[in-house]
Amino acid sequence: MYVSLAAVQVWGGFCLAAIGFAMHRTGPAFRRHPVGAPVAVLGLALILLHTKQPPEPELLLMETAMDAGPWLASAVLGTTLVLSGAPTYSDRKPLPLFVGWVFVFSAWYLMLAIIPKLTMVEILSWVSSILGVVLAITVFALSVRFTERRTPTEPETEPLSEKERKYIGSVLRRHLEASDES
Amino acid sequence: MSPEMESIASAFLGSAALTSLLIILATIGTLNPYHRPAIPIAVTTAVIFASTYLHSIFNGVSFDLVALRTNLIDGALSMFDLIYIAFSVLTVLIIQASLKRRPDDPLIALSDAESGSE
Repeated sequence: MYVSLAAVQVWGGFCLAAIGFAMHRTGPAFRRHPVGAPVAVLGLALILLHTKQPPEPELLLMETAMDAGPWLASAVLGTTLVLSGAPTYSDRKPLPLFVGWVFVFSAWYLMLAIIPKLTMVEILSWVSSILGVVLAITVFALSVRFTERRTPTEPETEPLSEKERKYIGSVLRRHLEASDES
Repeated sequence: MSPEMESIASAFLGSAALTSLLIILATIGTLNPYHRPAIPIAVTTAVIFASTYLHSIFNGVSFDLVALRTNLIDGALSMFDLIYIAFSVLTVLIIQASLKRRPDDPLIALSDAESGSE
């Protein structure tokens, strides 16, 4: 069975992007996994940069992704800027907030230009995809529950000592105050 | 089966397969010594193959690597359509995030009070 190199590249890139993103989400927010982001970027590069055109069926996905590229990029950039400017973890920053909203509005403008016509089949396909996702997550959750029930329970941990409490308090203070100042 | 029904069935089977693949990749990306991934990965792999098998039956094609790729791409395309709904929800959430006031931080207040009393 022959699979073209371009198709292998698309799927290899997809796997690397997904693994890199998952890796990046591990660890505390102030110290993410150092390898996660580079792996995800490498994966995206493998998906998007080709010397040869990928075959069907990958080509259809590539074309759809390329069509949505401008609004998706604008949406990601805008959302990131809005969230960095919003008063969630620090004080409000008007400039990132304003620029972010400009990008979000641009994303809406670009998205509405390419959004498919809403038909009953389209809506049923959306519902169907959501059900497919729910099925996969439910099966996974049930398998995790089954595995955890077979795992012997560990004894309850001791409460924190005074030294540990002071250490955790200092870590919290350092990071919360640092994000306040920035 | 009519083309409309085929499209709806492909969306269901494809998105189940693609979500299962993403779960496997996320498990690999977050692997740590406390994970026991063997059974969950085996079960999610079974979901991928079962949905591809059904997809190949519905489309009257052989159950092979091309059927697997087509099923996953059908799933990606159908899930891609959900991105419009997701972006609408995200826009509402970032409007809320932009408008809200930052609450007083009880952790900093507590740690300040504790360090002051020592």
